[in-house]
Amino acid sequence: MSKFFTAVKNGTVKGLKTVLMLLKIMVPIYLLVVLIKYSPIMPWLQDVASPVMKIFRLPPEAAVPVVTGLFSDEYGVVAALGGFNFSMAAITTIAMIALSAHSVPVEAAVAQKIGLPGGAMALLRLGTAVLTGIFVGWLGGVFL
Amino acid sequence: MTASWNVILQEMLHGTLNTVFNLLKVLIPLMIIIELLITYNVLEKIARRLEFLGKPMGITKNAMFPLVVGVVMGITYGAGTLIELNKQNPLSRRDFLLIGIFMVLCHGIVEAGILFGIVGANVIIVVGVRLLIAFTITCVFARLPYFRHMTD
Repeated sequence: MSKFFTAVKNGTVKGLKTVLMLLKIMVPIYLLVVLIKYSPIMPWLQDVASPVMKIFRLPPEAAVPVVTGLFSDEYGVVAALGGFNFSMAAITTIAMIALSAHSVPVEAAVAQKIGLPGGAMALLRLGTAVLTGIFVGWLGGVFL
Repeated sequence: MTASWNVILQEMLHGTLNTVFNLLKVLIPLMIIIELLITYNVLEKIARRLEFLGKPMGITKNAMFPLVVGVVMGITYGAGTLIELNKQNPLSRRDFLLIGIFMVLCHGIVEAGILFGIVGANVIIVVGVRLLIAFTITCVFARLPYFRHMTD
């Protein structure tokens, strides 16, 4: 039983430390996204993103969390999601795209470092993200 | 700006507090789960039970454990386990590439499930469909001539 409590205690401490570390990244991303949302850039961005987001049955502003995710991590996606009101179906599709393709440059470098072909893996992830996005967008449209 | 600063600042304050609470709700359970998984060697047991899934994916029994670690706990844990394993009992290039393919497509399902579940995604899709997609793609790659003819 003491093993159990040690695990719970260590987990809680690690969790709190990670929260502090991640907040330093997430809060600035979130604040920037809110600024962009109310800035004159947003309507322009929506026009540009609209045809692409339509493929995934997503509203145009979904481009913001998706693009954020390509360069930051899952937590960046969640920070960007916080700036908008998306439906459950849209959040699920964005999550699926972002989970296949997040921190693409960083993870390609990591893959390369442990001996995997980084560029090929990045392409595989982007390709899977597009196909998954189309599939789940359709699923969401039908079931959610 | 398309809204008054008063509205924007209020939204920012509210959203920032929300972010803090969401992170606490995600990371404390996640880290406790990971500690418990390690303490009770849960993933070794799961990997042994899942050995039968290795065959269609073209990987050996040895490769199942680092794969399960990466898929369940996250890519850094998976890579760490892989490096440890390589010191004692190196994996074949084929095993390494195939579990690499699975792992870059689908890692850290506990984290992803809790994180996106809390912000309102469908957890069954986020976890289940991703596992299925990664499994299917790995099975397809294992059947390509490049991987079939890879000996050792």
